[in-house]
Amino acid sequence: MGRNQPQRSGPTSQWIYCLLAISRRSPSFDSRITKEENPSVRNSNIRSTTTPASSIRLTLVHCAVYVTESSLPSSRMSGEEQNPAAVPVPVQDVQGDGRWMSQHNRFVMECKDAEPDVLFIGDSMVQLMQQYEVWRELFSPLHALNFGIGGDTTCNVLWRLQNGELDNIRPRVSVVWVGTNNHEHNAEQVAGGILTITQYLRSCLPRSKVVVLGLLPRGEQPNPLREKNAMVNRLLRSTLDRVGPVQFLDMSDAFVHSDGAITARDMFDYLHLTASGYSTIATPLHELLMQLLEETPQERRASLV
Amino acid sequence: MSNDRAMSSDDNPAATPTPCQDIQGDGRWMCMHNRFVSDSKGKEPDVLFVGDSLVQLLHEFEIWRKLFSPLHALNFGIGGDATQHVLWRLGNGELDHISPKVVVLWVGTNNHGNSPHQICDGIMEIVKLINQKLPHAHTLVLGLLPRGKNPNPLRERNAEVNELVQAEVAALPHASFLNVDPGFVHSDGTIWHQDLYDYLHLTPPAYQKVCEPLHDRIKALLDQPAENQVS
Repeated sequence: MGRNQPQRSGPTSQWIYCLLAISRRSPSFDSRITKEENPSVRNSNIRSTTTPASSIRLTLVHCAVYVTESSLPSSRMSGEEQNPAAVPVPVQDVQGDGRWMSQHNRFVMECKDAEPDVLFIGDSMVQLMQQYEVWRELFSPLHALNFGIGGDTTCNVLWRLQNGELDNIRPRVSVVWVGTNNHEHNAEQVAGGILTITQYLRSCLPRSKVVVLGLLPRGEQPNPLREKNAMVNRLLRSTLDRVGPVQFLDMSDAFVHSDGAITARDMFDYLHLTASGYSTIATPLHELLMQLLEETPQERRASLV
Repeated sequence: MSNDRAMSSDDNPAATPTPCQDIQGDGRWMCMHNRFVSDSKGKEPDVLFVGDSLVQLLHEFEIWRKLFSPLHALNFGIGGDATQHVLWRLGNGELDHISPKVVVLWVGTNNHGNSPHQICDGIMEIVKLINQKLPHAHTLVLGLLPRGKNPNPLRERNAEVNELVQAEVAALPHASFLNVDPGFVHSDGTIWHQDLYDYLHLTPPAYQKVCEPLHDRIKALLDQPAENQVS
């Protein structure tokens, strides 16, 4: 199933672009983005918006944060280059039935009415989970939305988040699982892309938490993609906590047997999970979400605005 | 060689046996093929399902266990496969050690860039190969489902493939065509995500709708007295 790969960007500075949402409201200060604010503001990297007859001013500042060598897990180049895995890119309709955009549009529509407590976003690892019983048993009860699209890279997920899939919803936890399809990027770039997604979520939903799932091993036997995914996970483990309250959950060890093999009982095509494979992931993930969704009384009062 | 058709298999990439190249780096396609070959050495299926992700994913849901395991079925589906990939797999070991009575063939929707005639000829090459290797088996060719949320060229392509295949298969005693679309396209032309969650792949409830008539048809074929059948 052919897919256009994301475009590589030209040389730019080695920056991570963060969106900082600064909202000022009188009299009580509240940094959250409320439903009354212009939802399209999130779509823009550089825009100042004042809602006309309101005391709320929301300013989105396109802020280039210079990342030093010690904090960014990327290849060190003396030239300046933007991480191609952190550039938002939609999927082009090569096949002719427009399915990717149809799915994206459906998710945007779901945002209008849904009030999820948990948002899952990512690739087919996320999408397929919804087709198994485990979703109905463990995650539907948490009021979870599933915005997974098969084949997606970090670029595609970032584009979707910036183009409507966060509009009007305020999940208390976002679960991010993406990166295994970034075939044109190296491990550092993929980790940087996941970091950018996490930072974007934190900036749009400052009061919510993020769970990043580690990339699972793939292929029946040891191979370069396993090493790459493991490297991504190592990089994430050491850098994610700088973004804020972000949890990293890596279940990789559960799938590789002592002889290095992955069985079809866990991954029917040595990439996608079976029902049994999902159960292995879902139990600890569900426990983690339950913990994160527990609130202190103070937090709960503040959320009832 | 199919001399009775306008297009020789040499001219038609969809009818030329082609393995999948390992571009990504984890060799998954060949691993799956090898697993199917080794499965075929140890098992004695009465029914073999072969095709693309629509076949493969069927194995992962409860409906497989309920409807097809009792029929002693094996599943040789690989996601992404087009007709030329299935043709290669079946010609390179996957049929060598088994004698199923029924082979269910469901492939063609991934043949991007091929014309309906090319795709039909690809499917017919597979039917011919199965008949060569398993002279006592009946091949049940499933129609391609519509895809995409709204009307689009791929729906038209798939519908045309179905028409062509149905006509060709009608002439064969060892094969038949089954349209398994229960009516996924609604009156406004849309397909619902409750049936095709990404407007291509089936949800478990949609598999139920597709598989019940399929199961009945397979059972009927299994119950038929087969000529010269080795049990």
